[in-house]
Amino acid sequence: MSSPLPPPPPPEWVVAMNSTLPRPTKAASSIPDPPGFSSGRGGKQRQQQQPIAKKAEDTDALKMKKAWEIAIAPSKQLPMNAIMMYMSGNSLQIFSIMMVFMLFKGPIQGLISTNEAFARYETPSTRGRLVAVKLVYILMQLLLLALGIWKVNAMGLLPTTRSDWLAWESERQPLERAFFALKG
Amino acid sequence: MRLQVVLPLAACLSPVAAIFSDEVNHIDFHHALLGAPSPDSTFFLKPSSSSNASLLYTISEKSIVGAVNPRDGSLIWRQDLGRFSSSPTGPGILRGLDGNSAVVSAAGDSISSWSAQDGKLIWESRLYGGAVADLELLELHDASESPDSRDAIALTYSDGTGVVRRLDGDLGKTKWEYKDTSGDMAFQVSSSPTEIFYISLQPALLKGYRIKVTALDPVTGRQSRHVILNSESDVTGQESILFVGANTASPLIVWTDKSLKTLKVNVIGTKHVTSLPIDNASGLDIGEITVHAPRKLNSLAHFLVHYKTKSGAWAEVYHVDMKSSVVTKAYNLPYLQGQSVVATNNINANVYFTRVTDAEAVVVSSASHGILGRWKADVSTSDPALHAVADVVTKGKTVAVRSAVIRESGDWSLIRNGHTEWTRPEALVHTVAAAWAVEEDLEDLAHELEIEGHESLVGAYIHRVKRHLRDLQYFPEWLKDLPKRIVTSMLSDEVSNLDSFGVAQSIILATDKGRVYALDTGRHGIIKWAIQAEKTSDWDVKAILANPGSAEVFLGDGSSVRVNSSTGEILAKSPPTDVKLQTIATINQQAGLSAAQNGAIGIRGDGTPVAPLDLLSGFLVTTSSDGRLLGWARKDSKFPVWDFVPPAGQKVVKAVSRPSHDPVASIGKVLGDRSVLYKYLNPNLVLVTAVNEQEHIAGFYLLDGVSGKVLHSVSRAGVDPTQPITSAISENWFAYSFFGDALEESSAKGYQLVVSELYESPIVNDRGPLGSAGNFSSLHNERGDSLPLPHVVSQSFVIAEPISHMAVTQTRQGITIRQLLCVLPSSNAIVGIPRHVLDPRRPVDRDPTSAEAEEGLFRYAPFLEFDGRWYLSHSRDVAGIKTVLSQPTLLESTSLIFAFGGDIFGTRATPSQAFDILGKSFSKLQLVLTVVALTGGVMFLAPMARAKQVNMLWKST
Repeated sequence: MSSPLPPPPPPEWVVAMNSTLPRPTKAASSIPDPPGFSSGRGGKQRQQQQPIAKKAEDTDALKMKKAWEIAIAPSKQLPMNAIMMYMSGNSLQIFSIMMVFMLFKGPIQGLISTNEAFARYETPSTRGRLVAVKLVYILMQLLLLALGIWKVNAMGLLPTTRSDWLAWESERQPLERAFFALKG
Repeated sequence: MRLQVVLPLAACLSPVAAIFSDEVNHIDFHHALLGAPSPDSTFFLKPSSSSNASLLYTISEKSIVGAVNPRDGSLIWRQDLGRFSSSPTGPGILRGLDGNSAVVSAAGDSISSWSAQDGKLIWESRLYGGAVADLELLELHDASESPDSRDAIALTYSDGTGVVRRLDGDLGKTKWEYKDTSGDMAFQVSSSPTEIFYISLQPALLKGYRIKVTALDPVTGRQSRHVILNSESDVTGQESILFVGANTASPLIVWTDKSLKTLKVNVIGTKHVTSLPIDNASGLDIGEITVHAPRKLNSLAHFLVHYKTKSGAWAEVYHVDMKSSVVTKAYNLPYLQGQSVVATNNINANVYFTRVTDAEAVVVSSASHGILGRWKADVSTSDPALHAVADVVTKGKTVAVRSAVIRESGDWSLIRNGHTEWTRPEALVHTVAAAWAVEEDLEDLAHELEIEGHESLVGAYIHRVKRHLRDLQYFPEWLKDLPKRIVTSMLSDEVSNLDSFGVAQSIILATDKGRVYALDTGRHGIIKWAIQAEKTSDWDVKAILANPGSAEVFLGDGSSVRVNSSTGEILAKSPPTDVKLQTIATINQQAGLSAAQNGAIGIRGDGTPVAPLDLLSGFLVTTSSDGRLLGWARKDSKFPVWDFVPPAGQKVVKAVSRPSHDPVASIGKVLGDRSVLYKYLNPNLVLVTAVNEQEHIAGFYLLDGVSGKVLHSVSRAGVDPTQPITSAISENWFAYSFFGDALEESSAKGYQLVVSELYESPIVNDRGPLGSAGNFSSLHNERGDSLPLPHVVSQSFVIAEPISHMAVTQTRQGITIRQLLCVLPSSNAIVGIPRHVLDPRRPVDRDPTSAEAEEGLFRYAPFLEFDGRWYLSHSRDVAGIKTVLSQPTLLESTSLIFAFGGDIFGTRATPSQAFDILGKSFSKLQLVLTVVALTGGVMFLAPMARAKQVNMLWKST
């Protein structure tokens, strides 16, 4: 309570993981791998990491590639969403309302978190090139939003027709009034 | 935004609210009326020999034959003879006999026999030779005939020829007839056990009449003998003879001398006339003498003479000696102040007289003056009794009596042993005008709210705070009532507890007999008060104008009577003027800040207003009796500004205008693609119906009431002018109905209902030539041309039966769809046809497109069948309705309907279902119990849940 205890020594496996793998001895490397074990992946990783770590330009290119993938990703949803919206009908039901809600929620969240989405790929060197990527990303999200607005309009929720403003129009008042004394 | 389409759509598509059987007698009321019973054709009768229960039969002065259950006053059956008889003369005659399963009625020249049990027609016979003067049932019958049908003896008389016929009781065929062509005035028929007597009045040489009695053989109808009584000094006409004893053991003829000093009695068939001195102890002039004798063959030959003076009455009982035909006085019933009526009936041979006075009812036997039963009246009424029929039951030494009393006001009530069992307000059948009463306090609040609306924000706020402080004086009372109100609202359902929402309103009625009534529509149409405003039988009521707290009845002679609408007290009477009025224009206009300004202007027969139109801030449209329509401007009551004369040969028969309360919720019609067709709305529209009776052409003209311009006209050939032609107009549509003949192969023959809708333009989203102008004028226009013409869409439907009157439901804001209320005279019903069924834009010969379906349109079918759910009258027999009124309530869903003219019927219409009322299935008690149970559950479970959470926290570490 009075003073914090010294942190306990890290467990053995933590030490083992943090320390680099000891180079296998000659004898050990001569031992064939058990059947089914492939050391290729680990080896590849090692091989890839080494050049990335070495070459910053390659890293940037890769990051840009990844960023582009993220930017284009919403457009892949577009056909699926369009079909879903088309199929769900224009009636006001809880299911279609929820789908429309999700359709709006996704792009809006995406737009808000544009910078976060690309934060991982943002380095001083990629920043300039990333602007275009972000613009494409925003465009894609806007396309999705447009799909949502199209759907909402199709459902008749947008005040675009004359009837939507009918309540604000008033009856024409007559300047003269007639009274009636009619027989029969 | 979508809601714009969906709401009216939902209103249209939802099944139209029908009157459910459990709502009958709950939301509606019905006074099934006969009219005031005719005194000598009203009797108790056992309809079947197997049952001991008797019914009360009558024929009313409106020629309606009816049977009433004496237990509760409900109508068992009725038949309107006026519907069959071509020329009803007088009320008609109804006869029945115990042991006969039929009652026989006569009206005009037709005699019909009705099953006493259920009122079904057995036979009808039209007699040639004038109207039926008298009708008797023969009590004796041949052994060969069926025991429960009695032959009828009918006497017809016209132009000096009297014909006596014997009609077969089963078939109505004439068995024999005896024609009297001597030129005597046929008077009555009577029968004794062995003979039939035909009594006629033979004009004496100088003046007066001699009574001629012709005895006929009942089997062959041949004259056996005749007797002439010398009565010419006493008898001046039919009214001089007081009584001709029908079907009694000793049939009598009774009359008096002119000075009412002696009573002359003749036993029919003999020549002897007994003179009996009238012993007038009261010293007052005798006003009326009536003779009461039993009507059965086997009863004792006793009779009672009832003398009425201005302030009291007495009666004397006489016995007839059968052998010697000598009439002797037995005893008398003492002179009593006040009104009294006597009724006779007999049990086997014994005859009982029942005397009903203001204070008591007394039963005596004809044999002795000992009083068998005496009952104090439970209610003292100032309403004098005119006539009574009685039904006496003896049980050992005690007697019980029920007597049906007809009162001067037209009330018909049954008094059982002094206790009034029921009262039927038969005089309501004469209702000619009605108006909804306006309550005073409601008007006050509306006035206060209006003041607030016109003041500045602060001023209005101060005004409202002041008003609420003033209202605080009612707070303790309100608080006191609160527990009771909560309990009652728990126990009763919402539907029955809507009085505070304007569902219980009073309606003021005026009859042509000079009476004014107020009915409470909230309490099954009971009579709140009734007054005799004037003693007349022909009160020419033109209109009733309701003001806050009072109602004014306007009459054709220019006079008016103002009554307090909550008590019936006469507040003011204005004297008649010398002009004869045809109609009254009741003007109800909003005049600035002050409350609605009411007024009335009399209109003469030629259509000119009586007074200058100073009161009016507008124009006046009147109809003249020569079939024109006139328009009047302010301050000029001499020359009309326009007049509308229909094409040559046509005459204006009807003109209708939009109801004064006709709010429009939406100024356009939203189509399926959510474009708008703008409604043509003009409060000054008049729909005129003109008929050419020779060429069978009907013209329907839509006029602007200010300028007189014809906006639309339709002419229809082949219209039957004798069938009802009726019309109604509301909002942007009008409807009319007529009987149309098929002129060409493709046109329909039958009753037709035509509906037309008016739009500003045939193009959607277009407001017509006036564009977005905020107001319009019928007279002045920058463009030079006056009012634009409407775009009219019409559709006609073939209906199965005629419509005699049309009206439109009114609701507070006009959001609820309207119903076209139609009176169906041939099925005695009132239907409310929903507006969307009558939509003229329904697709013809094709199924609706999806947009049209969304709008609520469905495929047009030429034949419009009245759906059972549209019948506002349910299965009731609502007969004789002439006018239907509709009144909005505080609930938007509900419109009050009131129909009068014959029967009185009132109900509530909910054209879009009762969307603002909790239904019957909603139980407040259940709701409260559920909330209490849930609260209890939460309170019980909360500590447990808390303990569990704490335990979980402890156990997890």
